[in-house]
Amino acid sequence: MSCDDNHEARTKDRAKRRSLPIAGQTSSPKYWRSVEERDRTSPVPGAANEFAGGTFDVAQYGQEDGNGGNSVSRRGFMQVASLSTAMAAVGACTKPAHKIVPFVRRPEEVTPGNPLHFATAYGLDGYASGLLVESHEGRPTKIEGNPAHPQTLGATTSFEQSLTLSVYDDDRAKQIRSGTRPLAWRTFLAETAARTSQLGQNGGAGLRFLISPTTSPFLGDLRKRILDRFPSAKFVSYSSVADDGATDGTKLAFGKPLIARHKVASANVIVSLDADFLGEGNEQTRLSREFAARREPSRQMNRLYVVEPAMTITGAMADHRLRMPGGDVGAFLASLVSMMASRGIAALAPLASLTHGQRHWDPKWLVAVATDLERNRGNSLVIVGRRQPAAVHALAAALNVALGNLGNTVEYATPLTSDPTAGVAPLGTLVQEIAGGGVDTLVITASNPVYGAPVDFKLAKLLERVPNSIYFGLYEDETAAACKTMIPAAHPLESWGDLRATDGTVSIVQPLIAPLWGGIQEADVLAAFVGEGDVGAHALLKKFWKTQGKAPGDFDGTWERWLADGIVPGTAAPAEAGLTVDGQALAQAVAPALGAARQGMEIAFASDPKMYDGRFANSVWLQELPHPITKLTWDNAAMVSEATAKALNLEDGDVVEISYRDRRIDAPILRVPGHADDVVTLPLGYGRTGGEKVAAGIGFNAGELRFSDAPWFDRGVRLEKTERQIKFSITQDHWTMAPDGRETPPPVVSATIAEVLNPHSKFHTEVEDRRPDPEHPQPVIHKPVDYSGQPYKWAMAVDLNKCTGCSACVVACQSENNITTVGKENVRKGREMQWIRIDRYYTGSFEDPEVVTQPLACVHCETAPCEYVCPVNATVHSDEGLNEMVYNRCIGTRYCSNNCPYKVRRFNFLNYINDYSAARELGMNPDVTVRTRGIMEKCTYCVQRIERKRISTRIEGRMIQDGELLTACQQGCPTGAIVFGSLNDSNSKVSQLHADPRRYDLLYEIGTRPRTVYLARVRNPNPELGQPEKAGGHE
Amino acid sequence: MPPLFRPRHNTLAQISLFVVAAGAAGVPLGLMLYARTPYARGMQNPIEQPIQFDHRHHTRDEGIDCRYCHNTVDRSPAASVPQTQLCLNCHAQIWDKSPILEPVRESFFQNKPIKWTRVYQLPEFVYFNHSIHVNKGVGCVSCHGRVDQMAAVEKATPLTMSWCLECHRRPEANIRPVEEVTNMEWQPQGDPEEAGRAQAAKNNVATRTSCTTCHR
Amino acid sequence: MAAPQLDVRDPLEPVALIEGAAGHTDKTINDSLLAHVWRGAGKGWWACFAVALSLLGMLVISISWTLYKGIGTWGNNIPVGWAFGIINFVWWIGIGHAGTLISAILLLFQQKWRTSINRFAEAMTLFAVICALLFPLIHTGRPWFAAYWLLPYPSTNGIWPQFKSPLTWDVFAVSTYFTISLLFWFLGLVPDLAALRDSSQSKMKRTIYGMLAMGFRGSGRHWAEYKWSYVLLAGLSTPLVLSVHTIVSFDFATSVIPGWHTTIFPPYFVAGAVFSGFAMVMTWMIPARRFLGLKHVVTMKHLENMNKIMLVTGMFVSYGYLMEHFIAWYSGDPYEFAQFFYTRMRGPMKGIYWTMIFCNVIVPQIFWSKRWRTSIPVMWFASILINVGMWCERYNIVITSLHRDFIPSKWENYMPTWVDISLFAGTIGLFSTLFLLFLKFIPAVAVTEVKELRHELAHDPTADPVGETH
Repeated sequence: MSCDDNHEARTKDRAKRRSLPIAGQTSSPKYWRSVEERDRTSPVPGAANEFAGGTFDVAQYGQEDGNGGNSVSRRGFMQVASLSTAMAAVGACTKPAHKIVPFVRRPEEVTPGNPLHFATAYGLDGYASGLLVESHEGRPTKIEGNPAHPQTLGATTSFEQSLTLSVYDDDRAKQIRSGTRPLAWRTFLAETAARTSQLGQNGGAGLRFLISPTTSPFLGDLRKRILDRFPSAKFVSYSSVADDGATDGTKLAFGKPLIARHKVASANVIVSLDADFLGEGNEQTRLSREFAARREPSRQMNRLYVVEPAMTITGAMADHRLRMPGGDVGAFLASLVSMMASRGIAALAPLASLTHGQRHWDPKWLVAVATDLERNRGNSLVIVGRRQPAAVHALAAALNVALGNLGNTVEYATPLTSDPTAGVAPLGTLVQEIAGGGVDTLVITASNPVYGAPVDFKLAKLLERVPNSIYFGLYEDETAAACKTMIPAAHPLESWGDLRATDGTVSIVQPLIAPLWGGIQEADVLAAFVGEGDVGAHALLKKFWKTQGKAPGDFDGTWERWLADGIVPGTAAPAEAGLTVDGQALAQAVAPALGAARQGMEIAFASDPKMYDGRFANSVWLQELPHPITKLTWDNAAMVSEATAKALNLEDGDVVEISYRDRRIDAPILRVPGHADDVVTLPLGYGRTGGEKVAAGIGFNAGELRFSDAPWFDRGVRLEKTERQIKFSITQDHWTMAPDGRETPPPVVSATIAEVLNPHSKFHTEVEDRRPDPEHPQPVIHKPVDYSGQPYKWAMAVDLNKCTGCSACVVACQSENNITTVGKENVRKGREMQWIRIDRYYTGSFEDPEVVTQPLACVHCETAPCEYVCPVNATVHSDEGLNEMVYNRCIGTRYCSNNCPYKVRRFNFLNYINDYSAARELGMNPDVTVRTRGIMEKCTYCVQRIERKRISTRIEGRMIQDGELLTACQQGCPTGAIVFGSLNDSNSKVSQLHADPRRYDLLYEIGTRPRTVYLARVRNPNPELGQPEKAGGHE
Repeated sequence: MPPLFRPRHNTLAQISLFVVAAGAAGVPLGLMLYARTPYARGMQNPIEQPIQFDHRHHTRDEGIDCRYCHNTVDRSPAASVPQTQLCLNCHAQIWDKSPILEPVRESFFQNKPIKWTRVYQLPEFVYFNHSIHVNKGVGCVSCHGRVDQMAAVEKATPLTMSWCLECHRRPEANIRPVEEVTNMEWQPQGDPEEAGRAQAAKNNVATRTSCTTCHR
Repeated sequence: MAAPQLDVRDPLEPVALIEGAAGHTDKTINDSLLAHVWRGAGKGWWACFAVALSLLGMLVISISWTLYKGIGTWGNNIPVGWAFGIINFVWWIGIGHAGTLISAILLLFQQKWRTSINRFAEAMTLFAVICALLFPLIHTGRPWFAAYWLLPYPSTNGIWPQFKSPLTWDVFAVSTYFTISLLFWFLGLVPDLAALRDSSQSKMKRTIYGMLAMGFRGSGRHWAEYKWSYVLLAGLSTPLVLSVHTIVSFDFATSVIPGWHTTIFPPYFVAGAVFSGFAMVMTWMIPARRFLGLKHVVTMKHLENMNKIMLVTGMFVSYGYLMEHFIAWYSGDPYEFAQFFYTRMRGPMKGIYWTMIFCNVIVPQIFWSKRWRTSIPVMWFASILINVGMWCERYNIVITSLHRDFIPSKWENYMPTWVDISLFAGTIGLFSTLFLLFLKFIPAVAVTEVKELRHELAHDPTADPVGETH
């Protein structure tokens, strides 16, 4: 072995074979090494064995981490950090004196070299997603969904995947400060104590809390105790992407604020009104799974109608899609309702008069939807998106009730968040109070409201009026800059707490690592106001749950179980029963809201699939993740339709001045197929001006145009073309699928359910021509290798019919395989590194295209063109048919990539890992070599997982069972579109899919014999609406 | 005008030509040989450790099994160097005053890890897994040599890739009953070839030489 | 006994191989051809040399930067994994073909007109190959590895290079070619070096040239050995002329990429190589013969013959283009068809394609006309255009094929960076530097052979003084 390659292809995770003295873990939480081990009980902490002393005292943890100074863990971390830097300094050709640093007291559950999995939960806007976090010697390295959790069902979103990056983010706030004066936590507690006693005199009249919506019973209890002490204090929940429309709507319909719980599984017909239920929201993961389950091509296949302004993930899955400005969706629903009423649905009779003047949509469409809904009474579902106003939600509720969907496809329940609404209204009242000077102490735990709040609130200016403003956040962001006191928050993976899923199920949130930079936990901040700031979140949490009576008998034992399972059994909240709608009242209530059509171009705001509302802006993974629809990276764009762009004579990248009311911003234009005309969609979450280094200077801040009376859309925006032009970094340009009319076979195959069910349709010949035929095998030069003798024959199948293109797999893969990011410039040059490329193809017209997304990573050709051209044997075939990439052998001729017909190989053009922080290195997966410059890389079918599983099963003396070995993308995928397994096991899921009548091989005609195959996309169009025409598709 | 070159210059020319040729062939050859020397492999070089830990004493006199200290060797990729806690299981009672053990006590009470010097260093892109080797009956001695005879541990094997492949291509030579893995003196009964093959079959050994077996 | 018709200037009469052979003696030829070596470097030489050196400087800088930062400093991306690096490699290797062709093949065919230009061409071969060799080395960004893995030797890893890969073949092909060309060139030099030794004034020059002459004293035995070994090497290097570029063409022909995956590449590459090789010789020869006063030995006859060869090889190349397109259509492979009839002709890089067609197909046709074939400025510009055309051809093959292959979603455009450009300019600098040094210190024309030729022409009345037949 030369020292050179040792040096070049060095694993960045220098701690790989070292037991890291980070015990950021209490001994108590139980862990799984794997999902199926979940139910095994692990020894009770401190059970008499020689390691007892090594375990980490819970109470001590609580307290110490309370003051952000958890001695063991912090020191441990510092050691590792210094260690890795020391190692970095070691030269290439000297024989480095590597050190081995064992534990002093090894926590008993830790087996150096073997990862642990801890169950925890994460809430984007209050509602829980149950997670399993992989931990290597106390360092969280990978996020998986918790299969036992009713919301995630074992899958994840790209947001959740990115947590293992953000926890190590070096840009996070690290110091408690008041103004510029650094504070110790204890000092802060002392000052708070003093102030609270003062505030107490008038019942805390000047005390206000601005919090993120949360379902945490524990925080709810704290809040109660605070209000007991300060009766006149107030709590206000705020999220810039709140669901208040929904709750207000149910209030209109049923008289009380409720939240809808959808059950797509039992819906034959789904009408989604501006609702991206597959792409965002609290139910995303579960609904994706349920939706996909009903896409199996059969008579049972569901049908999805989508009405929306801009193409979304859900819109891309639609069987029929109607594009219209967001403001007209209400009118559309009204017309639908009145039509249903006119068809004799009694419950809707009072609403019959709502029908609307403006009917610029195809009446056939309305009729078709109405008929379909009628036909499927009780098994239909109308979903309305968070952007729509209360009236629309109310009408939808009424419609669902009238169709008898209640309880079957949708049910309504009381919101689990501590405040029913978290939108503009409650914030408005707070703003007035501040303006009135009535607020003395304002504690902000909401995520960056100064950036997210409507501009007309002028929150930043107002905050100057608050004598004592305290911001609790992860970053020194816009809000931190506007507040007097800044408290660095502990990351979700560093905190104790609890959260409830949409169905009410409680999950305990447990830390995976002690706060790396002394972050404080939300509970501790709130507790400070009842004088318990030094007790520690863990102790408080456990104390609270002890009193809940959920665990009769041995509480500690039960507690263990809750932590291990990640859910607290029997906490699901029942839905509201016997709901009725008063048609008359509703009609009057909503009529004004659906008032006359407004004129002018519509401005519409959208939460971003990558940045959400900006809180993920500092994640390089998400910044570089191609937008699921536009494939745009490192930027946001003002999205318009082709027609609109033509009318204003705009090209992609033209910077326009967007003027709305009295405000103006500059933004680059991007034409998006399927976008509604006369609408400009502005994604939120960009143009950040806070202290986050990554986010700085990326995109424009659409929030600059967001007013409290029009949080989502309004008419009357104007676009002025400027001279400026910007270059987008788009990973998939709008090349036509059959460029200049070239007659190459389309990369994706899609068909209608009718064609699929009819064995003689041309669809079947089309796919049969594109998969191996045992009778007439393709000619190959070399004798094909026979893999039947091997224990396994790894292969993958991707069901395009289930893939929504949500991109969770891309980030999951990135996290699992230590894939680097390259930055905006290099993406523009075409050097992005994500191993999975989700190709997005449009067919049909630019106005109303059909979309098919195709995840494409290395397909592991059996006769791989990349292999024979490599001069140094750096890419070769394994005995089980994996196309292996040997990083340390690669010299970087790039010949393999040239010769790869799928272009799925990625090359380290530069030494991207140079700018990794020591902390980020801790987040690396120690099972995967980190690649330096000049090295080719690509999908390996997660070979590190295969080998781990192989070894563990061989030690147990058994074979790997189908389904117990998941690749990262497969595990992350919410819809289960990706299936991996062995073809030598004829019963394995993947074998069945390879034999599926919809199976086809990408680029079959080249004879590469890919191991990854695709199942054609199937649509379920309504015959009454006829076939959407398939013109020369473009992409 | 005197002749520019004399006959001896011819010899000179021939010699220099020869030297050039020989050098061109010899230098690479020399390097290849060097790479195979124990020195270049860092073998036969006892490594000094922060604590004078003597394997001879612990394994032979006390008869402690390797796995008492390296206790994850059969369930983890890493054999793991013992935690300080473990040393004190015994040394809290015996030799608890010995100055040699001062660093151990210091480490334990000040909660400072002992920094041992690595003896067997594989390149970071090599993913060696102890557990599978131990569980398939590869003895410690096969790679680590007679640790029970080393005052200070030294590298006993070259750890070159070809050395690994040797065994992965012909494992029989190094397979023994699983219960004998830590036995430093174990010898196969009868014809080693035969015995080895039989044992390999018994342990269900299936070595692989695909790159990703070790490189990921 | 002079043959008077040698000096006749009748357009119908072919021009002589040596102008005024009659007036010449060995001595005059010696003096006239060695003159430019003994003559001190003139202003013009220094000017050219300065330019060449500054370009060379750029080369050094851009190479260092590449090795320091990585290939990211180039314009390459995925899918365009190869770009300028490989284009330049193939281009230079091609240029390196004229030399061997002229010296070896024409020698075996007893073409007398080769004598005055072979030295020249061989030198260019060497320098071109040196330039070419740079690129395979640096284009991985980590050459220390290339050396480490590419060469087959019994390593401690217990594994070998991949002999199925054309890149591995390249290593052998190119290095062999370089070695043989070097020997061939040097061997041809020996008598001239001896001549230089004997005519040099200072002791130092004598010593240096003397050592290089390796004791060649012109004895009968020396001549005999010199002759047969020269022919032997000629025989050795003849197959190389064909093999090298054939193997280089395999880099592309063995792949699956539309535009690469074709069987016509080997002959088509070799023809192209000779084509560009002669063009490059022409480009340099014309100024050289003017400024070094070689007009009497490098006559219009030579230039005209070279133009004829360019015309012929140009036709080969054009035929190659034709067949590529024909097969793309005839095979019915949609990807091939798209590559040739859409991507190349109408794609984002169509400019390059049409430049190529103009320079390599149209331009050589002018050599059908005797008038233009013998017009110095015309042929000089033509030769330069052909060099450009051949570079564009490689651009078409390498970049245009790669930037749009099978799956549209991973198509990317390509844009060279300053490093790419200065690397290219730099190699031209390297080439010129070496070439100028060559002109300064070594006779640009094979003096011995010219003398020999004169004897042949003079002594053998039956000998066709023009060397048309044979």
